[in-house]
Amino acid sequence: MREVTIALAGNPNVGKSTVFNALTGMHQHVGNWPGKTVERKEGRLILGDRQITVVDLPGTYSLAARSLEEQIARDFIVRERPDAVVNVLDAANLERNLYLTAQLLEAEARLVLALNMADVAAARGLRLNPEALAAALGAPVVVMSASKGQGLAELKATLRDLVTASGRGVRPSLKEVAQ
Amino acid sequence: MTAVTLASPGAAVRYAPPIETELERLVAALGAIPALAERYPLRWLAVQLLEGDEHLLAEAEGLGGPAVTAALAASRERLAPHYGEDLDVALVDQRYRFVHTLARQALTRPAAPPLTLSDRIDRVVTHRWLGIPIFLALMWVVFKLTTDVAAPFVDWVDATLSGPVSGWATALLGAAGLGGSWLESLLVDGVIAGVGGVLVFVPVLLALYFALALLEDSGYMARAAFVMDRLMHALGLHGKSFLPMVVGFGCSVPAIYATRTLDSRRDRILTGLLVPFMSCSARLPVYVLIAAIFFPAQAGLVIFGLYLTGIVVAIVIGMLLRRTLFRNQPPAPFVLELPPYRLPTPRGVWRQMWERTAAFLRKATTIILATSIVVWLLLALPVRGGGRFADTPVEQSAFAALSGAVAPVFAPLGFGGWETSGALLTGFVAKEVVVSTLGQTYAVAELEEAAEAAPTNFGEDLLGIAGGLVSATGDALQVLPGVIGITLETPEEETALEGLAAAVRAGFEASSGGHGALAALAFLVFVLLYTPCMTAVAAARHEFGSRWMWVSIVGQFVVAWLAALLVFQGGRLLGW
Repeated sequence: MREVTIALAGNPNVGKSTVFNALTGMHQHVGNWPGKTVERKEGRLILGDRQITVVDLPGTYSLAARSLEEQIARDFIVRERPDAVVNVLDAANLERNLYLTAQLLEAEARLVLALNMADVAAARGLRLNPEALAAALGAPVVVMSASKGQGLAELKATLRDLVTASGRGVRPSLKEVAQ
Repeated sequence: MTAVTLASPGAAVRYAPPIETELERLVAALGAIPALAERYPLRWLAVQLLEGDEHLLAEAEGLGGPAVTAALAASRERLAPHYGEDLDVALVDQRYRFVHTLARQALTRPAAPPLTLSDRIDRVVTHRWLGIPIFLALMWVVFKLTTDVAAPFVDWVDATLSGPVSGWATALLGAAGLGGSWLESLLVDGVIAGVGGVLVFVPVLLALYFALALLEDSGYMARAAFVMDRLMHALGLHGKSFLPMVVGFGCSVPAIYATRTLDSRRDRILTGLLVPFMSCSARLPVYVLIAAIFFPAQAGLVIFGLYLTGIVVAIVIGMLLRRTLFRNQPPAPFVLELPPYRLPTPRGVWRQMWERTAAFLRKATTIILATSIVVWLLLALPVRGGGRFADTPVEQSAFAALSGAVAPVFAPLGFGGWETSGALLTGFVAKEVVVSTLGQTYAVAELEEAAEAAPTNFGEDLLGIAGGLVSATGDALQVLPGVIGITLETPEEETALEGLAAAVRAGFEASSGGHGALAALAFLVFVLLYTPCMTAVAAARHEFGSRWMWVSIVGQFVVAWLAALLVFQGGRLLGW
């Protein structure tokens, strides 16, 4: 069975590490990106009979490759073509976070949006409309508060659907896309 | 929580029609080159190339040759009438508009945003008048925590190292037939006394890092930067410079690197010159030791005063620099994000405490071990008198001769003894070494006696160590209410490192002509203000160049010397 890879992308301080820890538990490996001084975290997630590699990309505000972190995140998404990219967003600062989402879409990443910190957003009186977002982006949206453990089961279920159902977890190769 | 799954095709950013036309042309041109089509999502590549990504352009040209260059140039040519030189700005701008529309669909904002708990806390904490007193009060609690609460544990570690551990080492070497040899001297007087003298302060650092982690993880640090913004303006800086300054309380090295977050080179250099005046945690052991010896009842106050002195000196020097070296260069505008308050998690706090303490311990086992051995070697080498190697009176050693040569510089400051100037010399390498050098220069003979006198019974020793830890915890818990200010209990008249205390006191009394306490204060001020360590010097050179590195080294030495002179001679004029 082909190995499935999922990448976590998002701005700094949106709870990406919390989501990563929740997904991978104790199955983590911390090293550096090849030839770089930036930390690379990788972990394993078991969904049903599938073993999935989860890679935590550095936190970035964009994919413009102005900094080392941005370059690493961008190269991974464009070159390694992970089977899915979980874009973790701070729901309380949605607009700022969506800029990265726009660039991820442009890079033709297969997105799952994790609207994290929903509790903080709710406390500020912000009403989220995940259906509208999902419809506009054509990507599944999961509302969650990772620090409280809320929404993690839904995220895992969404990921399972994604890797098992459509295309048996294998995204079409770029050649097919180009034709 | 909800999860929405949809299978409709994704809608990416749609740019203005002229750009979309060119994107289509570019995609067609790039798609004709198989090497590119296999490697990149083509529309994405086209957007990046139009946006002017030179790194990617070089790659694309490498794979696709002149066809890429020509297609891109033609597209840019056709777009020039629409956007002129600002095509990249137009692309980013249109992406932001897409995002804005998206956010409007996905989010309903309340007509009147409710006042959150964060907002309510901020009303008090960042209040115009209350902000700074609250900041100072919190800092005060931090320093009480690092002195009073940590003190019993410091005593415990010290007793364990100078008693049982030294005893075990001596017994082991004795059993190996090496008793009384130079190897025993190296191990007991060099390694255990040197590194041990620093390990003693691990409880102090754990307490400091605990407090800093709480302040950072809760979100208060950003408020502190906001509150201090006005004060920073007096220095010709802004609140953003305060973050490196705060980091400087932990260690000058990351603080100097943290100046990278500032926008202009002027702000970076100015902040980098002031950061070393923030009292780094490596200096704390020196304060704790000297304050415990000379000012046992007011140790917390003295240490707090030193931290404050560092801040005041930074303010004065900052104003001076702004009017001289940095004239005609206005500071850049300032934007700071205040994240909502969060309850620090025990795991996060523990991780920060541990990572920072571990970094300190790594330093203790490398730089400090090396310096301890070099100092021991210099101490063991006789240059005068009839001593043999590793068996020479301290005052006849090479180290005494070297330090004695430098000592006159410090004579007007009240600490012209060779022991203290030797400690300041090694302190240039790292401040952690000052205490261990003092331990070596003052207490060599005394430690040796203690080690030889101690009979060793491994089991009894272990019991003693465990019992000591229990009673230290009890002592610390008793002090705790005092920290928060419920009862103002006077600390016991018990000094850390009792053996060293008498020797240090006598040394300062002798070098200052009977004004030991005043000389000790001047010594502390000097330690506060001169070069933090070799690593900080290297960081300054790396970030600002050799010229500014030398400005930094010489400037700090002059400032430290003058301030210590002011304390000692000024204090004597006032009749202390």
